[in-house]
This record gives sequence, structure tokens and C-alpha cells, in this order.
Amino acid sequence: MTKLRSLAAFGALWLSALGQCASAQTAFTADTPIFKEEAASAGITQSYTGGWEFFVGGGAASFDCNGDRRPDLLIAGGAGPAKFFVNESPTGGELAFRPLDTGLKEKDLTGVLGAYPLDIDNDRHMDLVLLRLGRNLVLKGGPDCRFEKANRSFAIDGGRAWSTGMSATWEKGNRFPTIAIGNYVDRSAPGTPFGTCEPNQLLRPRSGETPDYSDPMTLEPGYCALSLLFTDWNRTGQPDLRITNDRQYYRGGEEQLWQMSQGRPPRLYTASQGWQRLTVWGMGIAETDFDADGLPEYALTSMGDTKLQKLDEEAGEDRPTYRDIAFEKGATAHRPYTGGDPKPSTGWHSEFADFNNDTKTDLFIAKGNVQAMPDFASYDPDNLLLGGYDDIFHEKGMEAGIALDTRGRGAVVEDFNMDGMLDLLVVNREHPASLFRNLGAATDWGYRPLGNWIKIELDNGKINPAAVGSLISVRTGTRTQTRRIQIGGGHASGRAGFVHVGLGVSERATIRVQWPDGEWSHPYRVFANQHVRIIRGEANARYWYPVAQ
Amino acid sequence: MTFSAPGGRWRYRPGIVPALLRGLLLAGLAAPALADDAPWAERTQALGAITEMPTGVLSKDELETLAATGEQLFGAHFTTLDGVGRPQATQAIDPTRRKHPREQVFFRTAGPDAGSCAACHNQPAIGGAGDFVTNVFASEGFESADFDSLDPQFSSERGTNHIFGAGLIELLAREMSLELQMVRSQALSQARATGSAVRLPLEAKGVEFGYISAEPDGSVNLDELDGVDTDLVIRPFSQKGVMTSLRQFTINALNQHHGMQAGERFGARWTGSDDFDGDGKSAEISAADVSALVAWQATLPTPVQKIPQADGWAEAAARGEAKFTDFGCTVCHRPALPLENLAFADPGPFDLAGTLNEQQVAAKAVYDIGLMDWARELPRDDQGRVLVPLFGDLKRHAMTDNQIDALGNELMSQRFVDRNIFQTAELWGVGSTQPYGHRNDFSSLDAIILAHGGNGRQARDAYAAASDAEKSALIAFLKTLVIVP
Repeated sequence: MTKLRSLAAFGALWLSALGQCASAQTAFTADTPIFKEEAASAGITQSYTGGWEFFVGGGAASFDCNGDRRPDLLIAGGAGPAKFFVNESPTGGELAFRPLDTGLKEKDLTGVLGAYPLDIDNDRHMDLVLLRLGRNLVLKGGPDCRFEKANRSFAIDGGRAWSTGMSATWEKGNRFPTIAIGNYVDRSAPGTPFGTCEPNQLLRPRSGETPDYSDPMTLEPGYCALSLLFTDWNRTGQPDLRITNDRQYYRGGEEQLWQMSQGRPPRLYTASQGWQRLTVWGMGIAETDFDADGLPEYALTSMGDTKLQKLDEEAGEDRPTYRDIAFEKGATAHRPYTGGDPKPSTGWHSEFADFNNDTKTDLFIAKGNVQAMPDFASYDPDNLLLGGYDDIFHEKGMEAGIALDTRGRGAVVEDFNMDGMLDLLVVNREHPASLFRNLGAATDWGYRPLGNWIKIELDNGKINPAAVGSLISVRTGTRTQTRRIQIGGGHASGRAGFVHVGLGVSERATIRVQWPDGEWSHPYRVFANQHVRIIRGEANARYWYPVAQ
Repeated sequence: MTFSAPGGRWRYRPGIVPALLRGLLLAGLAAPALADDAPWAERTQALGAITEMPTGVLSKDELETLAATGEQLFGAHFTTLDGVGRPQATQAIDPTRRKHPREQVFFRTAGPDAGSCAACHNQPAIGGAGDFVTNVFASEGFESADFDSLDPQFSSERGTNHIFGAGLIELLAREMSLELQMVRSQALSQARATGSAVRLPLEAKGVEFGYISAEPDGSVNLDELDGVDTDLVIRPFSQKGVMTSLRQFTINALNQHHGMQAGERFGARWTGSDDFDGDGKSAEISAADVSALVAWQATLPTPVQKIPQADGWAEAAARGEAKFTDFGCTVCHRPALPLENLAFADPGPFDLAGTLNEQQVAAKAVYDIGLMDWARELPRDDQGRVLVPLFGDLKRHAMTDNQIDALGNELMSQRFVDRNIFQTAELWGVGSTQPYGHRNDFSSLDAIILAHGGNGRQARDAYAAASDAEKSALIAFLKTLVIVP
């Protein structure tokens, strides 16, 4: 009889175990991309160093300067000189860069906090805006990675401010871009640094055949900006200017959204218009659109928790009222996820991208203590929050291999070896920059490729050839993903080049482009795992192929 | 998890019920699920019979054993215990959730519409074609996924094709894709070297696919492509030539027609769920199951030419074969294409994520079709290449024009291919697989020939203008192209 009872007990246990095994939902089941840090072997040697003025900044610009479409780099050095690197990575192979001597004077290249690429004069060679402690430098790009100073020829007064951020857009009807420069603390003002933020600068081009920025305007009040982004937050086709500010040094300040109107000075959105007062240690802005509804969401890094802002549907149309969804999406990233340091994190560059090609948006955040702030984590590894099928972010920085003991600042998310998998460059304070190559997903026999992908380059024609401000809409099955081509945001870091979209298991996609002037293109049908060039006006897309290895 | 072992071995799951469970069975305490293992259980025994994907080059015995399991799977009637049905998922090739679950498991139009593969693929034998009654309704499975009308607005009605010789078809497609991509590489490197645009004809195994133009910066202009996808991969399966491989097609079909979801596409890695179709059964089809199905399909013998004993047939067929060339039919229905290599790699090289490909596994398997007895009979040319007698060209053509548009009945394009464009139907086996046409609704060869418009118009007109005797001879020839299972 006891034997039967024990068998019955076992049976009950067996049944309950079966019930649990039948559950089909798992926490995070997509691929975790594995990153191999290889800056040294790749020839990238650069540290962002210097005193207090270089606690912030630490950015990089990624763009093609020699016409081979492989992304080249300019990495800020802070007190040390900024360095140029030409990308010589074989397709799908180990990353390789060659240092480039542009002939520019060392004194011009020191004091650089960050940089953004921008084709200011529409000549299809990327120009560069170097944000400096002191006079900002504009470099006109030419073929074969030639750069020459262009402040004079473009009539850009680099100013004397501590510049930390930048964004650019082509305002309607303009031939040349409008450039916004973000400035930080005014070191010469009485009482500095507290409550002495420098105004920001808006450079609107004057009419004419060549870029002429001789009539800059100030954007006041400034609240010690660290990141700016021209963004079309409400589907009007007119980007407004969002600025994230560092509450450490402002008094009575807040986050800002400037309403841009053609031909009129910008005006700040006020509380009565719906702009709610938010104070953060604003370090970087990242933009995405989770549901492709044309109303973007924003990640704002800070000390402590990252904000993930979504337009509040209940607030009424055209009101810039945002609510924070970071907690419900698991994206607060407020504390180091490994290493055991219980103090809050300090976040810098943030960027949305699909690192594992599964169509779900991921979020990278560069992290690191300001210098030696005792109330904040000192071992503060960068985050790789992978978007899950459950619409929640899952932290995978540890497994991915990016949880280094560095103080990350700016970063560039880019596919440096043209294999469709996004790689990562992180500029570190007082430590060599980290260059991570995406190897794919780990298996017990090696690495296997991730999901399908598509990379898209737009050609908008004579004015704004790189189509800054356009929207790319990629449809696969019932899913739509969008990407906005923007210059700005992040932490002192910007990029230009192919836009990457992960496609998961889709073998093909349909792409539509909303060009900067608002016109929608017809649908382009493309196959996955291709570099696509869409030239405005052409019936079919072209494919582009890197040199085969 | 795949397992790599030399020589291509795999293991069978022990079919022994553990003693303790037997005890529970006897004690009457066993859950109903445990009775699955009885030999009479209402499930497909062949599912999961192969536990690991094969690797390495398989010997003849190993290949035949693997294919035998594939045949069992092909003929199996999937049951609810197997996981038939997809209440939460549509028929789409990309895993797509349905908005509302449907009550019925089987549904004639949107599927699942068949209990087994062989239910439709059976003429003249398992793996064959199907009559009009077995037609299926191809739709992308995104909008109106639950269509219940035969209106061509919602789906394209398609006949069931035979699968005999499909392994060689896929091998031809792979070799031709490589050839086309080599032309592209050549154009690109020439353009880079000379610094100016280079335009080259795209040709593979003598079949022309238009032109490709390469720029020195690495861009290619695809405006002049003809009958092939822009990534220069020949996708030889389905009426429009849009399915890449037997493996991809098998996974597509298992989901569409049976609601049986293969883990390599519908599993947690890509969907977050092991039971994406929400029928309560996870892990319905393993990668090894798919490999078995692919192995069987890839090793099905080619159709042959067999001339019946009846008086006069041989002479008529000979004359008809000459007419076949004279009329111009062979421009598209090429009597043979040469194949360099009979080694069928599985997973293959051209599938993208969503179907296992050779980069996604530790070691692929190779099914050497040359080991099959029937393969030894295949004719070869003087270079030793196998002459695959497919009577096709793996190229897509427009089949309608302003006067003749009988084949233009469809309203929807499919996977980027326009409504009136179809891949040349391989005529091997045409004598065993009436009716004809992509909708399987032409009951005579004469009628389907007369329906050729567009690219086939010239040959069709030559046939129409021919004498009755010549036409009759052509029919006599075509009817000798049969499947001998």
C-alpha cells in the first residue's frame, strides 16, 4: 500500500513538473551579440584626457572621407590632439584602421570635446564640426580625406565657449544647413561654475551661393547643454530643437524644446503649451520610434536613472508632454548591472540600434563616473539593453562582452567591417577608446550570423545630398520600422553613412523614404543582406557591394 | 543544439518507456500524455525519430535511411498530438500572429488545408503533383490572412507541382546563382580597375538573365535584369520561382498547410516563444525533421522519357521532339541543363536567417545524389557534367500580352514578382501530371500551349500555325515525359 502511495506522490510531482515544462514563454531568447574588443590590434589608439573641462565630452565622428564607403573616424582627445583614422577593415573581417595625418596643426586639434559630420556645402564630401573648449573648428572635407579649415570661408565664428553638443537640419527652402551649437559653463562669468551657463548658438545660413553663417543668433537662456537634437517630435515635418541640460551647474534651469519657425527666431515651448519641467543631469539624447507612428520616443541619459520619454496620448495633440516609460520597459539602467557597486550610474552617450538584427530596437548607453565622484558608481560598465519579444529591455552587457572597467563617454554605433552586424566604438575618459567588433551569436562551435539586415544610403540630390532629416520606413510583413537620418544627439558624437535596419527572418523588405522636403517616395523592393542606395527620382534601388575578400 | 560527428551519424531516440512510468501506467495514475508512446498512439512516430541533424557526407545507406524517415514524414497525417493547426499564427512565411484565433483547425482557403503533404502531392505517386481538387491558395498571410473567398483579390490559386528531381533543380539553381554572382563580381572589379562603368551580360549555363552594370564606386544598376531576383539568387521553387530552397519551402509549407511550425523559423530565437502558433504544443518540427524531409525530396528520382508500346508512338514522338525545337519551345523549355556537381549540401548556401543555412550550423550534411541508383542513369556530357533533363530554364518570364492573357488571371504579385510573370514550368513529368497551368485548370496540353502569351507567344504562334499532324506529334512527344516512381 505504501508503495502505491509513494508512486502516487511521484505521479503528482511528475504532473506538476510537466505543467511547468509546458510553459512556452521564455525571458530573453533572441541572439545575444558577442563583441570582441580589438582597438589595439585595429590600430585605434586614442584616449580622451585632460582636466575638469574634459570631464564632459569625449566624442567621435564616423563618416566616409575617402569615397570607399567604409566609415572612417575622428576621435576627440580632450587635452590631447584629436585623431583621424581611415578604415581599412576587410569585409567581414577583423577591424583595421590606419592613422591619418591631415596636416592640421596640433593646436587646432587639441581641446576637442567631440565632433559631428555634416556636408555643409553640398559637395558630397563630409565636412566636420569640431566642438572645442574655445574656438570651434569647421573643417571642409575634400576627396581622399583632405580637410582644411573653413571657419573663414563659411563665415562661421567658432566663438570662445566651452562647446559640448551640436545638431543640424536643413530648414525649408534653405540651401545650407542650420547648425545649433550647445555650450556648457561660462568659465569667465562671476560665480562660475554654478548658475553660469553659456547661451547656445544658432547658425542660420544667409542666402547666397556659398555657406555664410555670419549672422549667428544666441539661444537664451542656456542651461549648460550637453546634447542637442533637431527632431520632428509631432509629425509636422518641421523639426524643433531639443536640448538636454546638466542640472549640476544650472540654477532655475530645465530641459528645453525650442520651436523652430521659418524665418523667425525660435521660441521655447512653455509649461502652458505642455512642456513639463524636467531637470536631469542631461548627458545625451537618443531618438527612436518603437511603434513607427511618427511620434518619436527619446532616451535621456543622466546620473541615476535614464529617462525614456514617450509622448503622452492623454495630453492632447501637439502638446510636448512626455511621460517616462523607462521603468515599465526595463530601461532605467540606474545602477551598474555587474561588479557589485551599489551606487547610481552616470550615463553619457545613448543610442538606439538593432545590435542583434532581430527587428527589436536595442539601447546602448555609455557609462562612467564623471571623474571620482564619491556618491556615484566607480565601476560603471556600459549598458547593452536588448529589446525583447516581450517589448521589455534585457540587460546583456555582461554576456556581450562590453562590461569593461572604463569611463565611457561618447560612442559610435556603426558597422565598420560591412558585414551587416553593428559594431561599437566607445571613447573613454583617461583610457584607450574601446573598439568592439560584433562577432555574431555564440555557439558551442564558434559564432553564427545574426538575423537578416538591410543598410540604406540615400541620395537627395543637389541640396542636402545625404538627406539629413529624412525618414526611412522599412516594411517586412506586418512590421514597420523607421529610421530618421539626423545629425545631433548622443554625447558629442555623430555619424553619417548607411543606415542599418535589422530584418530578423525576413528575406526581403519594402522601403519608402520621406525626403527632407516631406515628399514620400514610391516603394522600393529590396532583398535582405544588401547595402542599398536609393537615389531620389530613380525607379529602382541600386545595390552596393564592398570589395570582396 | 546541433551535434557534429564525422561520417554523418545520428542517433535514434530510445522508444522504451521507463520502468517507473510503466509502473504508473499500470497503477492507472499515468497522465493521458504518457500514452503517446504506445505504438497505436495518435501521433506521427516519425516526428523526432531523427534526434540530431545529420552532418558530413552521408553514405548511401545513411542517405536512404534518412530519406525513408523523410518519406514517412511526407506521408504522415499530422494530428493534434503532433501540433497540427495554428490558431494564433497566420500562413505567412515570416512568423505572424493572427489577430483573432480561429475555431477550426482546417480551413480550405487560408489553411491549414491538408492533413499531410502526400494528400496533395500524390500523382502518380507520393511526391507527385495533384489534380485541380488539390489546389492551394497562395497569399502573403499579412492582410486578410483569414480570407474565406476564392476571389483572386485575396489569394492566387495554384496547382500542386510534382517534386521529382527537385534535388537536381536546387543544385542547378545554386550553380547558376554562383555563376551570376561571379559576373557581378567581375563587373565590379573591372569597373574599379578601369574607373568607369562596366556593363556585362548575365548568363548562367547558357540561360540569359539580362544585364548588370557596375560603377567604379561599387554600386550596381539592376534595371536591366531579366527573370531573376535582384540579389542574383535563383529561387527555383513554386510557380513563380520565388522560393529559395527545398528547406525553405518545406518550412513554409509545413506552416501554411498543416500549422506545423519548424523551430528554426518559428522558435524562441526568432519569436520569443516555443509555441508561436498557440496550439499548446511546443517544438513541433525539429531541424532534424526538416533535414529528413529535405533529404527525401532531394533524392526523388528524376522523371524520364518513356515511349509506350502503342503503334506509331515512337515515330510521332521523334517528330514531335524535332517540332519542339522548331517551334522555339526549347528557348525556355530547355531539354537539359548541365550540372557540375551532385553533392547536395543541407543546410544550403543561399538561405537567409529564418531557414538554417550552412553558416548557422557547426557542420552541414551532404547528400550525394550521385549515390542514388537512378542517378547513375543520368546522361552526361563530354565534360562529365550531368545533363539534367528538366525542360526548363529556371528563369521567370512574362506569360501574357495584349492578345493572349489566359495566364493572366491572377491579381496579386507574389514576393516582388508581378502578376503575369512565372518561372518556366519544367516539363519533365508533364505526361504524368495533368491538368496543366499554374492554376491547374487547363485539361489538355494543346490548351495550355495555346495559352502561352508574352515571352512564349512566338513559339505558341508557331504551334498554332502548324498542321494538325505536327501538333499531334508534339503532344505525342510531351506525353512521353513521365514520372516512373
